Amino acid sequence: MNTDRSAPVVLAARNLVRRFGDRTAVDGVSFEVRAGESVGLLGPNGAGKTTTFSMITGLLRPDSGELLLGGAALVSDTDPIKRRLGLVPQDLALYEELDARRNLGFFAAIQGVGQSRIPEAVRSALEFVGLSDRADDRVGTFSGGMKRRLNLAAALLHDPDILLLDEPTVGVDPQSRNAIFDNIAELRRRGKTLLYTTHYMEEVERLCDRVIIIDRGRIVVDDSLARLRHRAGTGAGAELRIELEEPASDTLSGTLRDIPGIGSVRIDGRSVQVRVGSLAAGSSEVLRRLAEAGIAVRSFSAEPPNLEAVFLELTGRSLRDS
Amino acid sequence: MDSWIAIIRLDLALFLRDRKALVLLYLVPVLMAAFFGQLTGGTGGKAERSAIGLVLVDLDGSAASRGVVAAFTNDSTFAVVVTNEAAARARVTAGRVPVGLIFPPGFSTNLLQGIFQSDRRPVVTLLFDPSHETERSLLEGMLVPKIVSGVAEGLLNVDVGRDLIARGRTNILRAERLPEIQRRLLLDSLAQADAFLESRRMSVVQTNAAAGPAELPLPYRVDDQPLTRVAGARYNGFAHSFAGMSLQFVLMVMIDLAVGLLTERQSGTFRRLRAAPLSRATLLLGKATSYAIIALSTFVVSFAVAISAFGVRIHGSWFGFVAVILALCYFSATLALALAAIGRTPKATRGLAIPVVLILLMLGGAWIPSFIFPSWVRTVSLWMPTGWGIEALDAMTWRGLDVSAVFLPVAGLVAVGTLLGGIAWRRFRWDGEAGS
Ligand SMILES: Nc1ncnc2c1ncn2[C@@H]1O[C@H](COP(=O)(O)OP(=O)(O)OP(=O)(O)O)[C@@H](O)[C@H]1O
Ligand SMILES: [Mg+2]
Repeated sequence: MNTDRSAPVVLAARNLVRRFGDRTAVDGVSFEVRAGESVGLLGPNGAGKTTTFSMITGLLRPDSGELLLGGAALVSDTDPIKRRLGLVPQDLALYEELDARRNLGFFAAIQGVGQSRIPEAVRSALEFVGLSDRADDRVGTFSGGMKRRLNLAAALLHDPDILLLDEPTVGVDPQSRNAIFDNIAELRRRGKTLLYTTHYMEEVERLCDRVIIIDRGRIVVDDSLARLRHRAGTGAGAELRIELEEPASDTLSGTLRDIPGIGSVRIDGRSVQVRVGSLAAGSSEVLRRLAEAGIAVRSFSAEPPNLEAVFLELTGRSLRDS
Repeated sequence: MDSWIAIIRLDLALFLRDRKALVLLYLVPVLMAAFFGQLTGGTGGKAERSAIGLVLVDLDGSAASRGVVAAFTNDSTFAVVVTNEAAARARVTAGRVPVGLIFPPGFSTNLLQGIFQSDRRPVVTLLFDPSHETERSLLEGMLVPKIVSGVAEGLLNVDVGRDLIARGRTNILRAERLPEIQRRLLLDSLAQADAFLESRRMSVVQTNAAAGPAELPLPYRVDDQPLTRVAGARYNGFAHSFAGMSLQFVLMVMIDLAVGLLTERQSGTFRRLRAAPLSRATLLLGKATSYAIIALSTFVVSFAVAISAFGVRIHGSWFGFVAVILALCYFSATLALALAAIGRTPKATRGLAIPVVLILLMLGGAWIPSFIFPSWVRTVSLWMPTGWGIEALDAMTWRGLDVSAVFLPVAGLVAVGTLLGGIAWRRFRWDGEAGS
């Protein structure tokens, strides 16, 4: 919610570079995150999202560039400034053989939560993700969705103010996914700073104020969602969905393609999908041509501007393998 | 400090969850030690051997031959079956019994006469299964003492004895070429023997009730002197086998732990550790401590069983014993860390650790005492920290040496452990990037 430009910068990356052998996983990444901001880091497989997170949390040393946490660089592994960070790793990071309570108790101790405060920290984290009743069950017996929720809880024990969420809902059923979204929205409401990686534009739209699109280790877009939507509205057009009374004739495709500024046309029986450059001009022109040809329309709808199309336009690549 | 304790507690909790590791660490070493201890002489008395099957055929049926049969029957080395000749041959041929003896008719009379006329010596037939050469030679070796004691026993049957003496006298008198002086001497000694038997008739009558087959004492006596320092300390094969086997399984579990550490490094949980304000030193120290505790628990369980059920005693110094155990735990834990640091990947570490541990165990004398190795191997063995530990445990258990005997081994184990810890400290990468 907080896009206050006067809020302090809590996390700054300057020209980060990280190579693995001769592959450059992160190639000159720079960005700033202000306190209370919620930033989506969007990119396809291998874009360098996890590698960037690893450098932020001190797991990997950058080959070059600089990372500042609250204005200061990490000086050592034990730097207390690390306590400001909470990492939700992409791979489940839990001890399956142990119960949920023991897992969280261990991570709390490692994060430096004092012995006396651990039980309360564990209890409230479990409650937050809705797993209180499974506290004493072995994590190995949890469903995939429950493990993901516990994976999130493990990052919250020391009450960090910056959360790094690396695909926190990957491979999860819709129910758990919604529960996790609710949790993240609640964290955002509490004023936490969030950095969130995903392959899904819709998740960014739902949870973030700002999006950083990263591809092949480089940032291609870093902008607020509002401005990006605007750009999508003008640049990438809209998707029209038309349902006809009768199955379409063979000539309809040619008729529609003749319209200036028209994008793709897909016809399947009675249903027609057309991409237009601009919603207002495009839709009226399409409807006019249909009326001229004497084709009766049963229903008509226009999809809102699609941010994934922005991504496609900017990178020439799809966010996911479909 | 809190993180250090948290790591130890976590590792132990994970370890206790691992049933396979628990069996490997607590149950198997005890069973193996019991087994090997039994093989290598048990609690120092005679080793419990299974009796050798022996068929006896007594075609003589005299007091002397019955005495020999009794002498074999009373010896627990043999499981004796007395039967007829055909059955005896059948049994040995079928491999059901490895050896057998047939005492011919006239065995006892001919035995005595054979003293004077070698061509009349009785022929005792020894049947044996060709695949049991050891039993055959053992039986052959025991034949003479058994016949001597058995016949003597039979001869002490007064009537038979006196009868034999009478026949002997006749023989002596008939032997024409015997010089007069010798004839006199022989007759004299026979008369004495006759008198002895006559006197014995009285005592036999008197002590009949207490009669058991008393073996004649051998002309010499064996005085066994097992050399241990403390009076009453006795060699206990279990002391050595429990030391060797518990160390073996500790080291085997250390391989698992080293591999586990590297697998863990590749896992998400390690990323959480790295993201926390935790130092590499705390991590390594936590790991080393939990490994050492796991090792210690094995030694405690093994020796508790050894002491309570197998008669192992700490005849030396308890303080020295505990010091050796702790030094071995330190050495094992740092070995695990060093193996993980050098191996780098789980697969490479396993490949490295298995031969290292096997060599440490074999040359250290964990399986078989190193003194049976050729001398150059023995020289190498002297450099095995495992060997120092096992020797030192022997010193504190059945050898009963005083505490000074462990100073050097403990110092050696601590030094090597520290060296291994140093290697781990320098070489262990905790970033855990695969292949970089
Ligand atoms: N430890 C490593 N060793 C070698 N190469 C690596 C390592 N970690 C990442 N890479 C490479 O770096 C590039 C970026 O990987 P990264 O995991 O950061 O991508 P990502 O954006 O998180 O992808 P995904 O969406 O699939 O999680 C990839 O090409 C990957 O193969
Ligand atoms: Mg990733």
